[in-house]
Amino acid sequence: MALLEMQGITKIYNQGKIEVPALRGVDLTVEAGEFTTIFGPSGSGKTTLLNMIGCLDKPTAGRITFDGQELRELDKKALAMVRRYHVGFVFQSYNLIPVLTAYENVEFAIRLVNKYHKKEIRDRVLQILDAVGLAGLAGRKPNELSGGQKQRVAIARALVKEPKLILADEPSANLDSKTSEEVLQVMLKMNQELGTTFIFSTHDPRVMEYARRLIEIRDGLISKDQRRESEDVSD
Amino acid sequence: MFFLSKLAFKNLFRSKSRTIVSMVAIAFAVMIVVFAKGLIEGMIDSVSADHIHYNSGHIKVIDEDYYKRERLLTLHYPVDGFDGQGLEEMITALESVEGVEMVIPRLKFGAMVSTEEELVAMNGWGVNPEQELAFTDLEEFLVEGRMVAPGQQEVVMGTDLLEKINCRVGDKVTILFNTAFDSLRGITFRIVGRLESGLKMLNEIVFYLPLDQAQKLLYLDDQTTELLLVTADKKLVPEVLPRVKSLLAEHGDERYQALSYRETSDLIPLMDLSAVIYNFIYIFLLSLSCIVVVNTMIMIVKDRTKEIGMMSALGLESKDILQLFVLEGAIMGVIGSLAGAVSGYLMNSYLARVGFDYGEALSGISSDLIFNTMIYPVSSIEVSIFAFVLGVVIVTIACLIPARRAARLEPTVAMREG
Ligand SMILES: Nc1ncnc2c1ncn2[C@@H]1O[C@H](COP(=O)(O)OP(=O)(O)O)[C@@H](O)[C@H]1O
Ligand SMILES: [Mg+2]
Repeated sequence: MALLEMQGITKIYNQGKIEVPALRGVDLTVEAGEFTTIFGPSGSGKTTLLNMIGCLDKPTAGRITFDGQELRELDKKALAMVRRYHVGFVFQSYNLIPVLTAYENVEFAIRLVNKYHKKEIRDRVLQILDAVGLAGLAGRKPNELSGGQKQRVAIARALVKEPKLILADEPSANLDSKTSEEVLQVMLKMNQELGTTFIFSTHDPRVMEYARRLIEIRDGLISKDQRRESEDVSD
Repeated sequence: MFFLSKLAFKNLFRSKSRTIVSMVAIAFAVMIVVFAKGLIEGMIDSVSADHIHYNSGHIKVIDEDYYKRERLLTLHYPVDGFDGQGLEEMITALESVEGVEMVIPRLKFGAMVSTEEELVAMNGWGVNPEQELAFTDLEEFLVEGRMVAPGQQEVVMGTDLLEKINCRVGDKVTILFNTAFDSLRGITFRIVGRLESGLKMLNEIVFYLPLDQAQKLLYLDDQTTELLLVTADKKLVPEVLPRVKSLLAEHGDERYQALSYRETSDLIPLMDLSAVIYNFIYIFLLSLSCIVVVNTMIMIVKDRTKEIGMMSALGLESKDILQLFVLEGAIMGVIGSLAGAVSGYLMNSYLARVGFDYGEALSGISSDLIFNTMIYPVSSIEVSIFAFVLGVVIVTIACLIPARRAARLEPTVAMREG
């Protein structure tokens, strides 16, 4: 069974009296363990699509099945629980809590999840910070970290609770190209080591290179869906 | 969730100046509440004390008809014992009532002194000097000379009254008055003491003389115009009053009335009522300071919109986010209110020692109102606790407004660019 199935997803925003169709009938299936990018120009509907996948918003029409669960049937609270336990988020502007250290920012996500012992939490947080290359920086506050380091904290925060899916909306848009590639490498490494499914959006061709599957979106419709062999992927 | 409380606390340090402004606003309002409440309680206490000391005792026993014409100081309705059997026996009976510690007779009458320019009207109070010194603050007010002594034709007067009649301590003065038989009499007394107090009535109108002299000169042997009953505390009056009433009823003399100090004062029940009304003013005042807090919090919620969206995306529920912001406000409320309650307490403790004089403001007011122009605010822990709790509760409730805004934010705001 696929991790995610979307059928006929339509999203229409109401801007006053004007209706803005952001998605116009998207069908998409994502298997567990995929490392997928959604690319397309600004305004094409990438963020809107990620919002639907991540249970942040409900589509105007269409069906979404996540991990065998039909999302349409869930209320606000149940959707929050799906996000809490099964979906990790990485945002373009990091969205770290400035008063918390890197460690505490990561801890925040795992504390919400009721499945680890206290001692286990500490080990997991340190381990995941280590894995994303932040060993020794656990005690730093976001303003003491570079952009790339902040995004790694965000990736660690998304990963720490072992979600089924991580969604990253333009995770490298605020980073220079070298740092962008480092961040993508970290994501790819975690995908390979932990088998976590990643879906990230971008409009940067260099970042797209890392994906195993490229989905192009234009004007709210999928215009291209292409899988690549692992040899094609640059390291 | 404990880590949310910790986060709420840490968040306070994010915008320090805003937090401080909010807390100062709360502290200031709470301090004013403590001050105002302490002042009003002090005023009520002082008005009650003066009324009890110089008018009513805790319970006043008086002839019903005298009470109706009290201001006239008539001598036609004296207290002369049960069925006219004499005052002494009645005093003894009243003293034996449980809770009555002292029975003080006062014989009040109108009098005059003629000076070269005018006739000065005054009130004579025939008293047992020892009892008066024990029950009232006369000892403290006696700035010159001594209290009158039983058996002597002597008087003690207030400074202003002495000035009006152009006399001093040591002088002799002839006082004119009507006897119980409505005959005019003039008697010469020696002035043995001078009183000075914040009480206009004692300063300008009253002169004290020994009870035995008053009784003799007015032809009211073994009689008086009123009896003041004293209990250990004014709080005991509701308990003792029924016993006094039933004693009076037992003797079947329906002339006499026993009145609590509250019944004989127009001012005290009014002030108690105003104290209740003031509670609403305190709530209003604290709500005003909440405008600052709510405003600050709304700005904070705006600033943290994406962060709130992020938390919601991470699976925090609306109620958790509500809790986070209410907690942040509540902590400001607790710290601000604590600062206000403590500084208010310190201020009242100081003013409770040195007093607060509002006499100038009242200089035009008629002098037969009995009250002291010096107020000593009550500095009680209870007042501070009251203001503290009220502050915390109101601030916390007010914070629901910005907190609900935060809780209603959609998780999608986390995905917004920029
Ligand atoms: N909350 C919203 N209200 C109204 N229109 C929106 C809203 N969010 C996105 N849109 C519109 O939907 C379209 C797709 O936007 P978005 O999904 O953000 O695209 P992308 O992420 O690819 O830049 C755009 O035309 C955008 O203006
Ligand atoms: Mg976007």
